[in-house]
Amino acid sequence: MKLSNEEYKALEATVGPEYISQEPVIMDTYNQVWGNKFFFDEKHSVRPAAVLLPARPKEISEAVRVCNRYRILFKAFSSGFEYLSLSLMNSKSILFDLRRMNRIVEIDEKNMRAVVEPYVSVYRLQMEAAKKGLFTGRIGVGYSAGVIAAECCHHGCQHTMVFTSGYGRNVLGVEWVLPTGEILNVGTGEAGSDLFSADGPGFSLRGVLRGRTGANGGHGVITKASVKLYPWYGPKQWDHKKQPGEALSKGQLESVPDGYKVFVPTFQNLDDTLSASEDLCRAEILCAFGIAIVGTNPYSEGNDEDWAMMQKTAETRARDIDPAGGGVSIANSVVCVIGYQSPGEMEYKEKCLRKIAEQWGGTFYDNLNEPRALARAFADIMWSSGVNLRATGDFLPSSSSPDGSPEMLKRLALQEAEIKRRYEQAGAFLTLGSGARMVSWRPEEHLSIGAQGISTAQYDPYDPASLQAARKFINEIFDPRGQFNRYGVPSRGGCLQIEPVTHVHQNWGPRYDNYDMWLRKIKKMLDPNTVADWTAYIPPEYPDSPKDGDYVLPSYGKAEQL
Amino acid sequence: MAWQDYTHDMQRCTRCSYCKWIPYRYMRDTGFMEGCPSVSRYLWHAYSASGKFNMAYSLLQKRIEIDDIFLDVLYKCQMDGSCDISCKVQQDIEPLQLMQELRIKCVEDGQLVPAHMIVIDGLRKEDNMMQSKKQDRGRWVEGLGVKDFTSTTAEVIYHAGCRYSFDRDLWPVARGGLQLLLDAGVDVGVMGVEETCCGGRAYELGYAGELTKYAEHQIETFRTTSARTLVTPCSDCYACFKVLYDKIGKKPDIEVLHITHYLERLIKEGKLRLKKKVPIKVTYHDPCHLGRLGEPWVHWQGKEYKVMGQMIVHDPPKKFRRGAGGVYETPRNIIKSIPGLDFVEMYRSKEYAWCCGAGGGVIDAYPDYAAWTGAGRLKEAEAVGAEAIVSACPWCKRNFLDAAGETGNKIEVLDIIELVQRAI
Ligand SMILES: Cc1cc2nc3c(=O)[nH]c(=O)nc-3n(C[C@H](O)[C@H](O)[C@H](O)COP(=O)(O)OP(=O)(O)OC[C@H]3O[C@@H](n4cnc5c(N)ncnc54)[C@H](O)[C@@H]3O)c2cc1C
Ligand code: SF4
Ligand code: SF4
Repeated sequence: MKLSNEEYKALEATVGPEYISQEPVIMDTYNQVWGNKFFFDEKHSVRPAAVLLPARPKEISEAVRVCNRYRILFKAFSSGFEYLSLSLMNSKSILFDLRRMNRIVEIDEKNMRAVVEPYVSVYRLQMEAAKKGLFTGRIGVGYSAGVIAAECCHHGCQHTMVFTSGYGRNVLGVEWVLPTGEILNVGTGEAGSDLFSADGPGFSLRGVLRGRTGANGGHGVITKASVKLYPWYGPKQWDHKKQPGEALSKGQLESVPDGYKVFVPTFQNLDDTLSASEDLCRAEILCAFGIAIVGTNPYSEGNDEDWAMMQKTAETRARDIDPAGGGVSIANSVVCVIGYQSPGEMEYKEKCLRKIAEQWGGTFYDNLNEPRALARAFADIMWSSGVNLRATGDFLPSSSSPDGSPEMLKRLALQEAEIKRRYEQAGAFLTLGSGARMVSWRPEEHLSIGAQGISTAQYDPYDPASLQAARKFINEIFDPRGQFNRYGVPSRGGCLQIEPVTHVHQNWGPRYDNYDMWLRKIKKMLDPNTVADWTAYIPPEYPDSPKDGDYVLPSYGKAEQL
Repeated sequence: MAWQDYTHDMQRCTRCSYCKWIPYRYMRDTGFMEGCPSVSRYLWHAYSASGKFNMAYSLLQKRIEIDDIFLDVLYKCQMDGSCDISCKVQQDIEPLQLMQELRIKCVEDGQLVPAHMIVIDGLRKEDNMMQSKKQDRGRWVEGLGVKDFTSTTAEVIYHAGCRYSFDRDLWPVARGGLQLLLDAGVDVGVMGVEETCCGGRAYELGYAGELTKYAEHQIETFRTTSARTLVTPCSDCYACFKVLYDKIGKKPDIEVLHITHYLERLIKEGKLRLKKKVPIKVTYHDPCHLGRLGEPWVHWQGKEYKVMGQMIVHDPPKKFRRGAGGVYETPRNIIKSIPGLDFVEMYRSKEYAWCCGAGGGVIDAYPDYAAWTGAGRLKEAEAVGAEAIVSACPWCKRNFLDAAGETGNKIEVLDIIELVQRAI
């Protein structure tokens, strides 16, 4: 839907003519994100009516006031690495592409925090923070992804949060353009101090900001944030090296950097792996934790080389891939990273780790614990090596919730892995062997507040059978009637919490103190005119009723006018 | 392959944005992380490689048409392939080939960039991309007394290329390169007035027919000489002879070398002695066409199939061009063999070097953008403490000189030929 001349002119006045576009050619590059095919059955979601490139909070604030005046929806757009949460309710909407707001305002070494603007990527902050002995956790495989998107707006999960906590919990203070256009500095910021603490008297605005899994653009635009940093034990700089003539994808650290040690124990079965994981995480000795399947493998150039390697491995070490083949499985290997400041600290942590591994029958196989494999695992788990959707074209994480006891999380993970195995066996998803159940636990704060237990399904969105299976899989594991007896609302970040698709709030609100009513009240209070796009947050009214076990394509975005 | 044949790639572009940056594993300085000049300068996502996949997919689905904005996005791009390299660190798709095919489609549809029409007009009339007279082509070499293939023959053809032939400021470099070969006793000659454009730049603009035409012409010309080797000091020409002719099935039956190959060979054989000290701190700028785009073409025919349920693989296995086969060490070996010289790498080098700014027709149609891109590189050279930036292509030298002139940057801009001359 085109904006009227008057509407366009009003928006143009906020950023200047160079920084606004309504050209279809430009607009149609803001609505083709990776997960769209799954949800919309096509790669395009709704085309925005215009995109703005603001440079200052004031410009956003003025544009948001224009949105209120003309009832235009708006949404922030950072690096665009998320999937569904970037889609729009309808085409009378604008996006703020935040790439001109890209300063690291401050790295405060003493107080271990950084102040950043929205287009500062996680990896960039890590590079700068490391120079001062500090670290911000990794975000998925999305090293282009923004610090603010991850910490203030969309909360997924990752391997370092065992140490750094979940991203949403690391926010100290923000500068926030509310859906009304007001600019709010929460906590100490509002009192004229810097963004040191988000909370003043009264209830926690930081909690409101965080919500369940982030508002995904649903309650305004964060234009600056102060975030916690953690100790970095490694060097100020590091080099990934490759041989001349080798593809860049082969580049790797030559060894685990000083200040860190990596261990990869392998257990007999998934139950033992998860039990050991629980003890390892609770011992408060880890900086990062994950499964070994990806990280330790030699880097390849592409799928063909991966396949050749797998075939070779299958010949020589069938048992390492397929437990049904009768032996141990790499699926039951975990990567544990410890950091240390003194030899004594390292000794203690290593001793502790080895003892726990031993208790659960763990073995340290040479091929997974040789120096180069450990160096790869380190890079992959601390920063991500960037390999993502090449294998099949897309992936879907399952929906385990982060809350609850380790026992519940373990049971849930096992159940979900079983479901996924059915689809794998039918050939709908990537499968690493008939028996492998791959569960990746991403524990938060040494498991003290739970873990995301994910079984990732790699499927091909352009293969109808695979796509169909992926949808059925999500339908099953979204657990609409609570048959898994889980504690906590199923969620995988904002990505699957798309109300018209998954009915998460609608199904789960009544089970948990009607939390959805609170969410809606907050939304209404912050956004009286409903101009901040809510598609990945909570709608003002539920648009259709939840059916039993339903997977539906969104009811919004269908009446697009090009 | 036509642009529609890249539908699979359009669908599979994940919008991860890796194409906007140099590959993450190789970032060393947060001031020099960007890889794509186009999106860095023009900001909208469309200007990135991913944006062009998106545009192509929208075009395929008839959601958009080719209009002025489409052309602006498509052509404000150096076709330097930095995006292609970064993307392929984790993908099996072909951003650069899609962009090339989109340009060919635009030309076929008569959707043309006015500045390029003038250049192509000149090419068709005068066989060069510099809007100059054909009869002036051999003037750069006057007085050198070198063999001319129009009247005699030699073992080696020295192909100067359009930029060196008509850019007077650069004549000393073209002559210097030739003189180095002559001094080393190489039996070398030039085509003189009969030398023509290689057709590579026209192809990058989307004029595929011109490439075929010049490839056939050159092959025929080579056949009539008894030369065994073609040497060019121009990286654009090198990539065209070496890669593009092969790509379109017209691989010439002659050894194709860049002058750095030949100089390195002469140095190794002791025919060229770099004895004089050159006490200066230099950095080397990899020309895109010698580096990542100089990687030999890989022909592949086969089919896609699936293993392990859904993993997409190829039969026979497909070797993607990921930049590793470019010419990187040869110029560095030459530079490092110069006594007294201090060599320093920039943050973005080899496969993931930042473009000089001239490529893909940008210098002709958008000179301010070309200069902006070049200025970024000069800044990087300064940041690593270099007193001179050395390249191996006349387009780089021209553009760096222009950028330095516009920004007042005092760094010395040298071709590797000039550096070698100083050491002799
Ligand atoms: C292959 C792949 C793997 C991934 N794996 C993981 C994973 O393992 N774990 C994980 O957690 N995530 C994962 N992600 C998701 C992605 O890394 C995160 O969603 C990331 O936070 C997105 O950051 P971004 O800067 O691209 O934000 P965007 O995608 O641009 O935006 C994300 C959401 O935040 C909102 N938003 C962004 N900036 C602002 C702002 N300044 N103010 C208000 N709202 C804003 C947007 O409106 C949108 O709803 C993966 C993504 C991909 C493509
Ligand atoms: S072109 Fe490649 S690198 Fe760029 S967004 Fe698409 S998949 Fe990612
Ligand atoms: S070829 Fe160069 S300018 Fe063009 S999209 Fe790729 S990196 Fe950007």
